[in-house]
Amino acid sequence: MAGLNRRDFLRALGLTSGTSVVAACGFDQNYYPTPIETVLPYVVRPEQIIPGNPVFFATTVTTGPAAFPVLARHREGRVVNAGSNPQAPLPPAIPKAALLELQRAYSPDRLKVPSAGGADTTWDDALSKVADAVKSARAAGKKVAWLGGYRSGAIVELVNAFTNNEAVFFEPLGRDAEVEAAERVFGKRFLPAYDLSKARHVLSFGADFLTNWGSVTLASQYASARNPNAGGFVARFGFVGPHRGQTGANADDWYAATPGSEALVALAVAKIVASSLGYSGPLSGTLAAFDVASAIAASGLTQAQLDEMAKLFAAGPAVALPGGTVGATKAATDLATATYILNLVGGNGGVTFGVGPSYSGPIHSYARVEQLIADMAAGTVGVLLVDDPSNPVYALPAASGFAEALAKVDTFVSLSSFTSETSANAKIILPVASLYEDWGDEEPQDGLFLLRQPAMSPLYDGRSVGDVLLATARAAGLPDPAAIANVAADAGVPVAVAPIAPVAPVAAAPTAIGFTPATWLDFVKARWQRDVFPKSGEADFRKFWDRSLSLGAADFRPALAAPEVTATPSASAAATFDGPGEYYLIAYSHAFRMDGRYANEPWAQEASDPMTGQVWDTWLEINPATADKLGLKDNDLVEVTTAQGAMQLGVERTPHVREDAVAIAFGNGRTASGRYAGDVGQNVVKLLAAAKDGAGCLAWQSSKASLKAVGARASLVSTFGGDTDEQRGFGVVVDAGQLAQYGDTPSDKPGKLTHLEYPKLDKRLTDAGINDWYGLTEHPTYRFGMTVDVNACNGCGACAIACYAENNLPIVGKTNVGEGREMAWIRVARYEADYAAPNRPEATLTKDVRFVPMMCQQCGHAPCESVCPVLATYHTIDGLNAMIYNRCVGTRYCANNCPYGARRFNWHTYVWPEPFNLLLNPDASARTMGVMEKCTFCVQRIRSTKSAYRTHSIENGNGFIAPVPDDALRRLTACADACPTEAITFGNLNDAASKPAATRKSARHYELLADLNVFPAVNYLGKASFHPPEHAAHGAEGAEHAEGGHEPAPSEHH
Amino acid sequence: MSATNDTAVPGLNGEPNRPSLYGAANRDIIRVLFKPSALWFFAWALAIATMSWGGYCWYYQITWGLGVAGITNPTFWGVYIVNFVFWVGIGHAGTLISAILYLVRSRWRTGVYRASEAMTVFAVMTAGIFPMLHLGRVWQVYWFFPYPNQRQLWMNFKSPLMWDVFAISTYFTVSAVFFYIGLIPDMAIVRDHSTGLLKKIYGVACLGWRGTNRQWRHFMAAYGFFAAFAAPLVLSVHSVVSWDFAMANTAGWHSTIFPPYFVAGAIYSGCGMVMTLLIPMSYLFKWGDYVNNWHYNNLAKMCLLTSGILTYAYGMEYFIAWYSQNPYEQAIFWWRMTGDYAWAFWLMVFCNCVAPLPMYWSKVRHNPAALFVISIFINIGMWMERFNIVVSSTAHSFDPATWANYWPTWTEFGVTVGAFGWFSFWFLLFSKTLPGVAITEIKEMIAPPVKGGGAH
Repeated sequence: MAGLNRRDFLRALGLTSGTSVVAACGFDQNYYPTPIETVLPYVVRPEQIIPGNPVFFATTVTTGPAAFPVLARHREGRVVNAGSNPQAPLPPAIPKAALLELQRAYSPDRLKVPSAGGADTTWDDALSKVADAVKSARAAGKKVAWLGGYRSGAIVELVNAFTNNEAVFFEPLGRDAEVEAAERVFGKRFLPAYDLSKARHVLSFGADFLTNWGSVTLASQYASARNPNAGGFVARFGFVGPHRGQTGANADDWYAATPGSEALVALAVAKIVASSLGYSGPLSGTLAAFDVASAIAASGLTQAQLDEMAKLFAAGPAVALPGGTVGATKAATDLATATYILNLVGGNGGVTFGVGPSYSGPIHSYARVEQLIADMAAGTVGVLLVDDPSNPVYALPAASGFAEALAKVDTFVSLSSFTSETSANAKIILPVASLYEDWGDEEPQDGLFLLRQPAMSPLYDGRSVGDVLLATARAAGLPDPAAIANVAADAGVPVAVAPIAPVAPVAAAPTAIGFTPATWLDFVKARWQRDVFPKSGEADFRKFWDRSLSLGAADFRPALAAPEVTATPSASAAATFDGPGEYYLIAYSHAFRMDGRYANEPWAQEASDPMTGQVWDTWLEINPATADKLGLKDNDLVEVTTAQGAMQLGVERTPHVREDAVAIAFGNGRTASGRYAGDVGQNVVKLLAAAKDGAGCLAWQSSKASLKAVGARASLVSTFGGDTDEQRGFGVVVDAGQLAQYGDTPSDKPGKLTHLEYPKLDKRLTDAGINDWYGLTEHPTYRFGMTVDVNACNGCGACAIACYAENNLPIVGKTNVGEGREMAWIRVARYEADYAAPNRPEATLTKDVRFVPMMCQQCGHAPCESVCPVLATYHTIDGLNAMIYNRCVGTRYCANNCPYGARRFNWHTYVWPEPFNLLLNPDASARTMGVMEKCTFCVQRIRSTKSAYRTHSIENGNGFIAPVPDDALRRLTACADACPTEAITFGNLNDAASKPAATRKSARHYELLADLNVFPAVNYLGKASFHPPEHAAHGAEGAEHAEGGHEPAPSEHH
Repeated sequence: MSATNDTAVPGLNGEPNRPSLYGAANRDIIRVLFKPSALWFFAWALAIATMSWGGYCWYYQITWGLGVAGITNPTFWGVYIVNFVFWVGIGHAGTLISAILYLVRSRWRTGVYRASEAMTVFAVMTAGIFPMLHLGRVWQVYWFFPYPNQRQLWMNFKSPLMWDVFAISTYFTVSAVFFYIGLIPDMAIVRDHSTGLLKKIYGVACLGWRGTNRQWRHFMAAYGFFAAFAAPLVLSVHSVVSWDFAMANTAGWHSTIFPPYFVAGAIYSGCGMVMTLLIPMSYLFKWGDYVNNWHYNNLAKMCLLTSGILTYAYGMEYFIAWYSQNPYEQAIFWWRMTGDYAWAFWLMVFCNCVAPLPMYWSKVRHNPAALFVISIFINIGMWMERFNIVVSSTAHSFDPATWANYWPTWTEFGVTVGAFGWFSFWFLLFSKTLPGVAITEIKEMIAPPVKGGGAH
């Protein structure tokens, strides 16, 4: 470098650096591996969309006849959550199906493009192939058939027109027996309507009305009947059946009748009720021919038990519910008939049971499916379309012959965006739009019209079933039944429908819409204009449509009325169970996976089964006495054999099944499915016969099984710890009789509360007014709190799934759950208590079950806060135990010190495979490996609500910022919003009008572990029990408590 | 001419001082340095191997998250915390022996205190790893320290974990400094006996010690000061560690008996570990003159005393559980005794309450082999005690619905074994580089060589 002076050096430096900058500007794109992506803000912002602000769309989810209105929460182009629709004419709730369908919409296993003959193709090609197939089928005189689940509304008309009424609407765990029974007794095919809210006695003969039978509205009605403040009574629930699932566990009385004898029990009760009420009517003949003794002999129940049921049933408005899946024996229709008789004989027609807001959509029985299978096998079905949730190859017994017959169908078209056992055989697979991308309507009750609208543009190129049918019909040149309304002029513009003159009054025969509407939306509109709009009596269809669309519903329901009996049914005989075994095999609908349709949804697998806590598996429920006899412990592998087949399952010992019965849930053992359902559990259908009852309904409960210990261990994983609360006051019961008498708010009558079994604060301290050494934090405006009504909670678990959705809780899988690493922020603990009934030695109910939702209690004196060395968790001025994820170093001391076990730790890095990442709630803070997390009371919702009201106050007020009113808080958290029974209510404890503040004065009020003096912000309300523990049944006990300073915990706001 | 071949050095057996071989002490103790045997190399290699395996396990855990360990909901703390408390406990005997016994002029400490102090320092170094190792985000460990930062973040001084940070770091600092001060004159002796590079190193390490009167005066003042300074730490450190549990509200942890109970346990385990280390060391290094039954006898008596205190504490926990009528307390203590971890409980009771009982016989106390076996039981028992406390209380906490059991995984086993490797690594290194017995103090007990061959 000799000779290089300073100036030359600087020159050289300038030159080299300058050229490298220039070179960098024009870098070689091939050289840099990072692809160039363009990020652009909205130039022309879509109307309604403000980045960062959610938009809500009213829409409708469907599970069979139980369509339900919800609000889809839309953020920047995609639906991120589902919430309750408070404006809809049904009690607000988020059905589990709404959330599971949402996860389904984002499933990484979703098919993206149509396929024909196993190869991906375009929609045009696929549709033309379908059209050709339809054309040639018609030309050959073959049928174009449809097999799908229960649908109502416009789609039924379109499907019937398309298939020339060769459509079968069938669900394996369906309600066909009830429809057949209605036809038998009332001469009409419909599902009767029930109003549980008026019933003082609910007698279910197997229907899991708090789980999957019917709509979540039933759960809300039942909760209202249990609520002592609504109507001044507490409904008593008797459950007749061999197995208590989540619904049966809520029962006050369990009558474990011999399986198959339920219809006889119902008739026997009806006969006793009829004689006590002096009934004389069209059904007298049926009852007169019936002998109560035969019911006693068949059911194993005693006369006293039947009398007890009858006495309760005759006493007041009562309701009998039919069999559901567990009652689907070879006498299923008889059982439904018997419950109708019982309801009418008890004088409940038009009160708790009847017609009016009933369901009239098509429901076909299994006999109809058999006919279709026969047609298919005979080669007379040219085209078979199978609608999305239907999966007959999986869900029907092999003996049905569906799979074999399917091979004889010329063209099998699957309208599903998922691979399934059925669609795997399809010649053409058309990936249809998800519920959140589709238009449609539903009529879950006669006169109640719900609208579905797309809340986002399709994630992939999924198309509406309606559009597919319309396009195919036109392309195939199907004869148009008629074309009266064609609103094609405005096709594609959702709201800008040209006003059309109202069509003829309702009385006129409906005219078919035909295939002329250009789009499925036009078809739905035409149907609404024809069927719904005239009921409104309004002049402007466009206004009516717009309003209905924004509300999601139009309600013209008639009042509940007693149905007219048109025929006298004959009495029934007990149903038989066949097979070589000695145990009745009871198959029941799973609380989350249902009939298996949601098996591939991780939420449905990860959510613990309400009764057993089991996840990601299929298990065998067996009575402990039987298990002891066979030498089976929990999680032992056992071989279950029926005449149809055998399978090995892990054992779950539970007292909630008869000693001579075993129970298995439907919904797992999918063989052709996505990545989540694969290799999970077993399909119980393989053990079940394709038996039918007299009316042609599938009799799931008709097999007997034998058990044999395998001598190996299974790998069941349950999230449950102990079965009881060890008398620590987690699940507390209150005497229902006293509660009904005195109501819920006798704050001066602590004696009405049954014994709370936790140690009291030292009386000397409370007398001296000393509760704690340290004062509580000041909460000047808000102290957010929650009330959990254990009496209203039925254990359905919707809150848990809603929490997963709202807070982006990761799915950790079976192995991790087995290690105790589940991330649920809210768990519905199931506590059992010995049910002492000294005056009823014949009682078969041995365990009383209480469901207690547990989440972070947001303590006033939080044990977690003081122990965190880095102040990652602290107390906010609003009373929350805030958690700063980014500050957390992960000592987990807070979790050790949390007496409620509410905290969760990120043991690993959890990932969401695409496109699940699109479902993540952008408002919830992200957490990384190694940090603690827990329930935040949905702080993101609190913050946005507070700022919304703050803005509102500043803009409209006089400078004073009013606190958020109670109305806006009650259902604010995801769990509270999901709850159909208002078991979880959120609110401001500083607001005396809020439920959490008001219920602190209730006689049912208790706090969990109040003696620890942590001042939880969540307070619980005891469950009404008709069998309170012995020592609490006496008034003297209460008086003693009053003196003894019964002080669950000093409330902090006096 | 070697001391070991002669009659035992009289002054070292607790008997009145007699003239002895003053120079033998230098030779006997320095003799073992710097010439590692094959056995030593084997042991050292084993230590490095296990230490590396533990390190790999830690690496694996950092990569994949704490989920690779068995700790889970609801048992959020597992053997990592067990190990932490165990090693802190081990670290107690050293300072107790070197500081407290110094202050009370207990002469038998002389033979054992150097090795015990080394053990203390290394044990605390081992213990200090575990709080880091069990962190969810170990890379943020510096957030525990009160350093000024732009984000104005501060720590929570209400948290017992924060107290732990200061208690342990203080204890480590003071023990290390005290250890070093005691070493100064001895390192000067090593310097005088070595040549070349070693001479230079020890020359620097002994800070230019020449043994002048003035230096001795300062040395003794400093030693006395640090002894006084360290003495209360012996009691405070394990009290603070016990507060990690006692300050929590978990049943089975939340107890006022914990501080004295933990300190007693720590001294018990520490003395046990001193015996475990010194009995073979004295045997292998042929230090019978300096470390012998006199010391073992006294260590055994310490163990007997603290074992008695522990037995009392165990009993008192059960009495209070019954007396308080606190159902959670009763449930957890009953479950410890009868539940899924009953084996750990009864193993603890056997090792801590029953196994030391033979030491009531003088014969046993004077039998190094028997004492060595008992000391192993003591180590196991004290590990089990911590396992009982840490694991069972959280496994069966307040809400029965959360109950679940814990079992460590290979990662935790690996790290646990690795910790022993880490400790052994340092202790083995110590045994070959620093005088394992305090030469200068030994000499204090021996009548100085007077012209004419002694007193006679």
